[in-house]
Amino acid sequence: MTRENLEVDVLIVGGGPAGLSAALRLSQLQKQQGGEPLSIAVLEKAREAGAHILSGAVLDPSTLRDLIPDFQAKGAPLLSPVQRDNVYMLTERSKLRLPIVPPPLRNHGNFLISLSQFVQWLAQQVEAEGVDLFTGFAGQEVLTDGIRVIGVRTGDRGVGKHGEHKPTYEPGVDIHAKVTIFCDGVRGNLTKRLIQEFQLGKDREPEQYAVGLKELWDIPAGRIEPGTVVHTLGFPLRHEEFGGAFIYALPENRLALGFVAGLDYADPLFDPHVAFNRLKKHPLVASLVEGGTLVRYGAKALPEGGWNTIPKTYMAGGLLAGDAGGFMNSMRLKGIHLAMRSGMLAAETAFDAIRAGDTSEAALKTYQDKIDASPIRTELYPVRNVHQAFGYGLIAGLMFSGMTLLTGGRWLEDLRGRPGYQRMKTLAWYYGLDVPVTRPNNVATIDRLTTFDKLTNVHYSGTAHDEDQPSHLIVQTEVCSSRCGPEYGHPCTRFCPANVYEIIRETGQPPRLQINASNCVHCKTCDIMDPYQVITWVPPEGGGGPQYNGM
Amino acid sequence: MILVVAEQRDQALNRASWEAIAAAQQMAGAWPIAVLALGASVGDVAKQLAQADVAEVLTGEHAALGQYTPDAFTMALKGVIDQKKPAIVVMAHTYQARDFAPMLAARLRVSLITDVIGISGDGASATFTRPMFQGKLTATVRATSSGPAIVTVQIGAFRADAARRGGSPSVSPAEISIDTAAIRQQPEAPFQEAKQAVDLSQAERIVSVGRGIKSQDNLPLAQNLAKAMGAEIAASRPICDSGWLPMERQVGSSGQTVAPRLYVALGISGAIQHVVGMKGSRTIVAINKDADAPIFEVADYGIVGDLFEIVPALTAELQKK
Repeated sequence: MTRENLEVDVLIVGGGPAGLSAALRLSQLQKQQGGEPLSIAVLEKAREAGAHILSGAVLDPSTLRDLIPDFQAKGAPLLSPVQRDNVYMLTERSKLRLPIVPPPLRNHGNFLISLSQFVQWLAQQVEAEGVDLFTGFAGQEVLTDGIRVIGVRTGDRGVGKHGEHKPTYEPGVDIHAKVTIFCDGVRGNLTKRLIQEFQLGKDREPEQYAVGLKELWDIPAGRIEPGTVVHTLGFPLRHEEFGGAFIYALPENRLALGFVAGLDYADPLFDPHVAFNRLKKHPLVASLVEGGTLVRYGAKALPEGGWNTIPKTYMAGGLLAGDAGGFMNSMRLKGIHLAMRSGMLAAETAFDAIRAGDTSEAALKTYQDKIDASPIRTELYPVRNVHQAFGYGLIAGLMFSGMTLLTGGRWLEDLRGRPGYQRMKTLAWYYGLDVPVTRPNNVATIDRLTTFDKLTNVHYSGTAHDEDQPSHLIVQTEVCSSRCGPEYGHPCTRFCPANVYEIIRETGQPPRLQINASNCVHCKTCDIMDPYQVITWVPPEGGGGPQYNGM
Repeated sequence: MILVVAEQRDQALNRASWEAIAAAQQMAGAWPIAVLALGASVGDVAKQLAQADVAEVLTGEHAALGQYTPDAFTMALKGVIDQKKPAIVVMAHTYQARDFAPMLAARLRVSLITDVIGISGDGASATFTRPMFQGKLTATVRATSSGPAIVTVQIGAFRADAARRGGSPSVSPAEISIDTAAIRQQPEAPFQEAKQAVDLSQAERIVSVGRGIKSQDNLPLAQNLAKAMGAEIAASRPICDSGWLPMERQVGSSGQTVAPRLYVALGISGAIQHVVGMKGSRTIVAINKDADAPIFEVADYGIVGDLFEIVPALTAELQKK
């Protein structure tokens, strides 16, 4: 079979904050330094920029100021400056307001944004510079020559459910580049391959993840001042579970409501979506959303591990940036500015390397030097152990966070972490031999007013995929009924926030896993949290996926 | 005037064209209505259309319109619209219209209002309702361009049988000019991808099955009911996903959108993804053993009970007649 080939100087995979910042920085350098124009291509699996991205979000504008100094004149969609911060500790029925807001959660000078909207705007800035943004094209495979990354193959189109070629079949395109910057997001499918193939995780701590569920609400007027930022700890999570909630009051009676749960929980029956529903029944949240209307729903995993878990960020012909590299500050709950910064630095590295005619591993190592000399390290290094400390429980985590603030993160020895999926206990271990089917912790009432079943929520994500294509969730199903059912009770049906995994029980048949791949919202939780690591997420046909306008 | 573009293939009129005529009649006010049929030869279709209560029927015949291409249709329509200068152009939101209407609107530099489900007001003051965000919101819009607005109406949103008939329109040829050298598409012979390819949006009655049917072996139960009713068989996603019925029979957000006169939902819980594909049906009958199933919220008639008892009884009763 012949494939089309495309040759570019720099290929950027992923049109999020990191990838678009890289593209913009490259065209800025081009303008400043002149010379032979570089060809740049950006691949984005969503049909339009911003459609697959989701965050809280509070933006620290520091990187934006460096990248686009006149961002306000250029109409950056900053919805509201943060006016006030509140932090609450929740129990099932009550709330306790923390008398002082911990410094990392003070957001004075930051802005509330819709990241989807912000990325759309960034994409406009990039396209105005004449950079080609290929939306609707996913990076399916990394192309290497055995030693270096030489580019990326995009996904085939028009492949039927059983792998057959439909009349619309079009093979993917091989895009060859001198430098490929991988910004494929948290648990990116290409970055996952690179980490294995180039051993980028060697001598690094394992990445730690969480999953965030978010809803956008229209609420009755006068309930909360725009610009109000609320974070909560505690209920519906237990002390052993990492996470919390965010409530951001946007202009025009819009409310961004989110819930984050660490993907390192022990209870195999824990269900983040159920926990989110329970949160919405808490008086603090219920008093805001009752009588309102749900506008959007979505979910996305996030990298929480911090500095020590960032893999090696460079290899011959390739660089990692943004969430793909784990550039997030879990103590400040912020990563957009770090993603943008890493994208800029990756662009500078790629630009210099191409100009010097050397894109070897040794040449691209300057990326790491740039990161070490940048605000990324200044911000992330002192808090490098904080997430890992929460592995010892909420109290230990909070105490450690406090000490980190006092000492500036000076410790004799770094804390170790384990991959989160290894921390999940078996039903027998967690509940004893007499396994209960439900516990108060894993059931929630569904009233279809403020609390919803997963399938209804999925509808509000706007996700859509062509049904006639192979499943983009590759699961080795042998273990499902033989081991996973008895040992963990099919946790995939719970940790997936989009009802992709269903166990069908038919009389006279063993339980069977049904994969509703078209419900997928591309959050990557299953790839991360499955206890046997038998689920591989690959991109579906380009363009398919959620529609996160306004999220 | 209002120009309705009817759709035909090989002299068979698309049922949705009557829906477009009904929509045009509703919004016409004092404006006369003309109906245009395009094709290589459209005499029979024009005869059918002449039953409508409209002012005139136009036949737009040209060899290049025998097989659909967006370029030929756009050129032909642009020519007719330039001559006739209608205030509004109405057509059904068919696959064909979806294909060429955006190009036509761009060529004419006029407003395009697609997938309309309701019209209020008439003449120049008409406003249009259309769904947004997969039907979660509806927006009321009006055209702002100075030329004719192009409006496509959602299949099933206007009743074909509500189109007023009994007019005596003049039937005359429209002047069609097509620069065949400028047609960039070369259609191949039409083919049916699957043997049983079916356009459920054209069905008058549908029997639809969901997971409550339990096993593929029970499908004949539903198929017999469908046969007795003269209905098409359809299904919710899990049934098609399991391969029990072909994918083109799937109703819902990732399948077809249907609006039959009668929709019988057997063992369908009524997840929102399914409901958006069938809520436009005129009469919805739901049979489900779970009284709390959301399908009963959209059903006109609900039977809480075991479909394995009710369906055979219904079928037997229908077969008596």
